[in-house]
Amino acid sequence: MRRRMGRGTLGIVMGAVMCLLLTTHASALEVGQKAPDFTLQAPDGKPVKLADLLGKGPVVIFTFIQAFTGV
Amino acid sequence: MGVSADAAATLQAFTKANDIRFPLLADFRRQMLPAFDAMVTDEKSPIYRYAKRAYFILDRQGVVRYVKIQENPIELLNSEDVLKALKESGAA
Repeated sequence: MRRRMGRGTLGIVMGAVMCLLLTTHASALEVGQKAPDFTLQAPDGKPVKLADLLGKGPVVIFTFIQAFTGV
Repeated sequence: MGVSADAAATLQAFTKANDIRFPLLADFRRQMLPAFDAMVTDEKSPIYRYAKRAYFILDRQGVVRYVKIQENPIELLNSEDVLKALKESGAA
């Protein structure tokens, strides 16, 4: 009986952990959240920091698959 | 600004070839794209570990005001859609 309850509890805990992991992934970045800072390379090779861009105003970012491909 | 997983030299050539007047930034090390959930991570995909088609608008405090992540990369927003989203987001 104790063993059965133990397995049941373990199953519930595992299920809860899985739900939490899935929920965390689905809500990677949502409206209202602070965006993670990043530093990327400009075409001239110089580093560009998000925090520096935000100092100039709002930032619109679009991501695209690959240069020279049309997408 | 635009971000892709291309190398900076590739984006330099692309910027020059198309006379692009806004910055394109290289996330060649794949640091920003996964943090923004904007990277294809399906190992079966021919574009594995490349950027998704996505749009983000951040206000001056760096708070996300608009997110649009397209599962189909062909689904482009036109510039009017982006400007409308910018105005409605309250970020500007």
